[in-house]
Amino acid sequence: MMFLDRMKTLYGYRNLIWTLAWGEFKQRYKNSVLGYFWSLLEPLLMLVVLYVVFSNLMRIQVEYYQLFLLLGIILWNFLSRATSMGLNAILGKPGMVQKIYFPREILVISSCITALLMSIFESLVFIAFMAVFQVPLSANLVYVPLILVLLFLVSLGLSLALAALNVFYRDVQFIWAVILQAGFFATPILYPVTIFPESLRDIFLLNPMAHIIISARDTIIYSTPAAAGSLLYAGIVSAITLIIGYIIFAHYEPRFAEEM
Amino acid sequence: MSVIDVEHVEKVFRIPHEKRTTIFEALTGLLRPTDYETFPALRDVTFSVEEGEMLGIIGENGSGKSTLLKILAGIMRPTSGKVSVNRRMTPFLELGVGFNPDFTAIENIRTYATIMGLSKREINGKVDEILAFAGLETFRDAKLKNFSSGMQVRLAFSTAIQTNPEILLMDEVLAVGDMEFQQKCMDVLNRYRNEGVTIVFVSHDLGSVRRFCDRTLLLNHGEQVALGETDEVIDRYIYGRIAEEPVEIGDPVEEAPPAEEASSGNGRVKITGVTFLNKFGAESSRFNAFDPMTIRIFYSARERVVDPVFGIALYSERGEHLYGTNTELKDVSIEYITGEGHIDLQIDRIPMLAGRFLVTVAAHTHSGERYDWQDKAYSFDVIPTGRDAGLFDIPCLWRR
Repeated sequence: MMFLDRMKTLYGYRNLIWTLAWGEFKQRYKNSVLGYFWSLLEPLLMLVVLYVVFSNLMRIQVEYYQLFLLLGIILWNFLSRATSMGLNAILGKPGMVQKIYFPREILVISSCITALLMSIFESLVFIAFMAVFQVPLSANLVYVPLILVLLFLVSLGLSLALAALNVFYRDVQFIWAVILQAGFFATPILYPVTIFPESLRDIFLLNPMAHIIISARDTIIYSTPAAAGSLLYAGIVSAITLIIGYIIFAHYEPRFAEEM
Repeated sequence: MSVIDVEHVEKVFRIPHEKRTTIFEALTGLLRPTDYETFPALRDVTFSVEEGEMLGIIGENGSGKSTLLKILAGIMRPTSGKVSVNRRMTPFLELGVGFNPDFTAIENIRTYATIMGLSKREINGKVDEILAFAGLETFRDAKLKNFSSGMQVRLAFSTAIQTNPEILLMDEVLAVGDMEFQQKCMDVLNRYRNEGVTIVFVSHDLGSVRRFCDRTLLLNHGEQVALGETDEVIDRYIYGRIAEEPVEIGDPVEEAPPAEEASSGNGRVKITGVTFLNKFGAESSRFNAFDPMTIRIFYSARERVVDPVFGIALYSERGEHLYGTNTELKDVSIEYITGEGHIDLQIDRIPMLAGRFLVTVAAHTHSGERYDWQDKAYSFDVIPTGRDAGLFDIPCLWRR
C-alpha cells in the first residue's frame, strides 16, 4: 500500500524526473565541440583495444566476437555509468536538497535515466555494426526490452543505496570505483563463460550482470531465445537489489539536508 | 481553519567531535562511542497558521527561523513533534534552485518552473510572460552564465512567482536586489496576500513584517518567545522583556567604560553611565521609530558642584552631527549636585527613521569648562516602522 502511494507520488513528478534527466544529458555533450561524436568514439576505442588484445593474445574463438564484445561493453557501461552518476545524484546537488522539497529518489532516478539515454545513444554504434556484419535478426528480440528493464532496475537499486551511503561516507565513491573495475573483468564481457570449467562457471553465474549480458547476446546476436532460468534469476536478484537499495535510501533520506 | 499545524516541534542537531565521513573511520570507530555535542535548534515550538493568514517569523540570527522553515517545507524532519500541512506548499527559500549556467534563459525557465511544480502546459503558456516580467525578452537564447547576477535573480523571481501556491514560505528572498526589485517583490507578496494565499514570512526587515503580517512568531535561541499580534511581538523583540524589569531609579547601570581618549574633563563630575529607556521604562538599545525614549545620564560628583550644565549631542553612524542640546539652552538650571544621581532627557517621539545613532554626553560649567565629556561613547539603534526613506521624518502632507 505504501509502495503504491510512493509510486503514485513519483508518477506525479514524472515531468520533473524527465526534465532533470534530459537537462543532464544535454549538458554532458554541450561542453565539447565534437559533443555527441565523442560519446560514440569512447566505446569504439575501447572495442578496438580490447578486440586486438583478446582476439590475438588470448585467442578467444567466438562467433561475431566484435559484436559480442561491443554489446558487453555497452551493457556494462550502462551499469557503470548509472551507478557512478547515481552515486553523486544527492551529494552533487546540494542546492536542490537543501532549499526545496521533492522526493529525493527523483534525483537518483533521473540520473539513471540520463545514463540510459547515453547508452541508447551509444548503441547506435552497435546497430551500425549489426548492419555491417549482416547479423540476422529474429523474433527473439522481444526479450530485449525485458532484459533492459532488469538491467535498469539493478542499476537503480545499486544507485539508490550508493547515493545515500555516499552522503554519509565519502569514500564510498572510491570503493565503488574499485568494485566496478574488478566487476568488469569478473563479468563475462571479454570472454564467454564457457571458457571456464563447469564448477567455476557457477560462481561466475552468481553475478546477475552475467545473466543479463548472456541473455542479451543470445537474443540479439545469436538469434536464440533467452534462457528462462537466466531471466528468472536476474529478475529475482534485481528485485531484491531494488528493495534493499530503496530501504537503505529511505533509512538515510531524512538526514540528507543536514549532512550535506 | 488552520492549514499549518506545528505541535511541540523540537530539532536537535548532533555535532560530533570527530566527524566520521568515511567507511574506514566508521569501522575503526565502532569500538569507541562517538562523542557529540547536541545543539537544540528548536525547542517546543507550537503554533498554527490559519488559511489566508500571513505569519511573520522574527528573531536574531541563529534563533532557528530558517530551521523552522525547512521543517515546514519538508526539507528537514523534526527530532520530535508533529508538523502537518494541509495545502499545496511552495517554498521560496532560495531563488533559482537548479539554475544551470550552461543553459539558455528559456531552458532554465523550463527546468526551474518544473522544479517549482508547474506543469508543462502551464510553462509553455507562460514563458513569454516570464521573460517580459524579467525584462529579458531579447536574451531568450543567451546562456545563463553570460547574465549578470541581477539578471539571474530577476529571471528566477519572475519564474518563481508564476506558481500558484496555496501556502507560500518566504525566507529572506527579498533581501537581495535593488530598490526597484524589492518593490516588485513587495507588490507580488501583496498580490498573493490579497488572493488569500497563506504566507509564512521570515525576515529581518521588521518594517515589512509590521506592514504585512497578521501575526508574528518570535524565536530566541530556538525557543518560542512570543506569538501574537505583530505590533506587540515586534515591541517584545525590540524592547526585550516588556516592563518586567523596569530600571530602578538611582541604580547606575554598568555600561562599558568609555574609552579613555574619548573622555576628557577635570573629573569633578564624572558621567558614570548612560542608559536609553523605552516606552515601558525598561532599558533598551533598540527603538521603534516614532516611539518615545528617555536618555538617562548617571553622574557622580566627588564634591558639591554648583550649577552644572549637562548636555548631549547626537551623531549619525558616519559621524555627522545631527543635534545637540543642553540644560542651559533649555533654560533648566540645576542648583547643585552632590554624590551620585541621574538626569533624564525625555524625547516624546524619536524622529529618526532608521539606523544607528551615537550619543555624546557632557557635563560642564556655564563658561564651558569641562567636568566630563564622553565623545560618541553610547549608541542606540532605530528600527524602521514605515517606508519613508532617509534619516529623519519630516511631518508633511501631500495636497493637490
